[in-house]
Amino acid sequence: MNTNSVFSAMPIVKISNLDKYFGHLHVLKNISLDVPPRQVVCLIGRSGSGKSTLLRCINFLEEPSQGTIEVDGIRVEGGEKGRHHRQLVHDVRLKTGMVFQEFNLFPHMTVLENVIEGPVIVKGIGRQKAIELAEENLDSVGLLFKKDEYPNRLSGGQKQRVAIARALTMEPRVMLFDEPTSALDPELIGEVLNVMKKVAKAGMTMIVVTHEMGFAREVADRVLVMAEGELVEDANPADLFNSPKDPRTKALIDRYRSGEQA
Amino acid sequence: MSFFSKTQNAPKSQAELLYDIQVRKERRFRANVGLSWLILVFILVMAFSGQEVTIGSKTFSGIQIDTEFMRKNLTFIAGGLGETIRISLMSIALAMILALLAALGRLSTVPPIYALSTFYVSLIRGTPLYLQIFFFFLALPQLGIILSGLWAGVLALGLNYGAYMSEIFRAGLSSVGKGQREAAMAIGMTPAQTMRRVILPQALRFAIPPVGNEFIAMTKDSALVSATGFVHELMWRSTKVGRAQFHNLEALIMAAMFYWVMTLLLTYIQSIIETRLARGDR
Repeated sequence: MNTNSVFSAMPIVKISNLDKYFGHLHVLKNISLDVPPRQVVCLIGRSGSGKSTLLRCINFLEEPSQGTIEVDGIRVEGGEKGRHHRQLVHDVRLKTGMVFQEFNLFPHMTVLENVIEGPVIVKGIGRQKAIELAEENLDSVGLLFKKDEYPNRLSGGQKQRVAIARALTMEPRVMLFDEPTSALDPELIGEVLNVMKKVAKAGMTMIVVTHEMGFAREVADRVLVMAEGELVEDANPADLFNSPKDPRTKALIDRYRSGEQA
Repeated sequence: MSFFSKTQNAPKSQAELLYDIQVRKERRFRANVGLSWLILVFILVMAFSGQEVTIGSKTFSGIQIDTEFMRKNLTFIAGGLGETIRISLMSIALAMILALLAALGRLSTVPPIYALSTFYVSLIRGTPLYLQIFFFFLALPQLGIILSGLWAGVLALGLNYGAYMSEIFRAGLSSVGKGQREAAMAIGMTPAQTMRRVILPQALRFAIPPVGNEFIAMTKDSALVSATGFVHELMWRSTKVGRAQFHNLEALIMAAMFYWVMTLLLTYIQSIIETRLARGDR
């Protein structure tokens, strides 16, 4: 059904033998992972398991200690320095969109200015074209009517939806979400998850660090479980939730289940 | 009876009553402070009026001042206002640039840059402003660098205030969360773009009110530049006519009034800017 299956088989994100140390602390242990196009991957695990660090290594917000990150064909060796390395990191960042737990919108810019900032300043596309693109994306997260507001006038859920629009307007090949709903009031989580579902349906490759097991089960194509800096399980959600193999995964899912009932 | 008239007549809640008492208390306090101010100003005016005032059995005689001298020299002394403001503006501009550089240096992880910044701040804060003005005006010529009184003053004031204000800018830069930097990096901004587009605008907004305070302080410290004898600002003019005609009292009172009114005006402008910034609150 896919005429260019050779290309679609090529992963968008390819992590090989990644290690990360914080001082003496070995927080990521020899991680390898391929994410093919259009796949939605949820990364779960207890806090301190290294899942956020792994995500942040993909766009080099954390510099890997060693190993290779490849995003859409751009290969970067971890732990290197110098101009060439910085250029590669820059190229990788243009291919990745990131959504943070704390939104991190620019408070001195309006919603629209936030969204066009990257395309205009970094990619250098014309302001007019950037605005068109930005308005399209703001519309799809349902916030076009807020485009002239400043972020402090928005609810947490609205801020996060703007942050998603900001990342999408850079036209990335993969979207990274770092606990996108953890800083939100419970009643605002749904609107953000709905937007994320929409992004997934539109065919975006996504890697999502989350505690939202419901989202993982419903939207993810694949769930990865991390514990103590290692990937301990890699399965489709149905298998993972019904018959977890690793005892740590089982403990995680049991905790979630008991929370669900409570 | 309509819904609205009913609510209007409804008795006030406990909380509303307490709030009203609080508001009334505050209003009374402010009214009394205002009245006391008026009395103090009145006493000050009377003290220099030359009038005799009898309170009970005691008679106070006010200080006699020569109003004729004041009237004659008013335009001459007032003519220094422009120069005072000019020095202050030039110096604050220089001070802001130096303060920002020093603050960036202070946050740098490159040892020589960090050292240069702390060295500058330490040296300047460790020596008197008065000495610095003389250094630029009197000591530099020995090295073949001759500065006019104005430029010596502006350099000294700018360097001096720059060192003190670096702390303000450092606080401003540190007030911008690390998440802002990460968000900028994640969309591919270079460190320079991140600084210019994301960090600086927020840091400067944070720094505006304290910089305003420094500017107000500087308008008064600019009086020290008169010591060079070549800058005809307020202080220089008032001491010149005061000494020449032995009317230092009158001359200095006039200069003091000019400085005071200028400070009041600037403080008022400052408060307007501050409320406007607070309203934006972003």
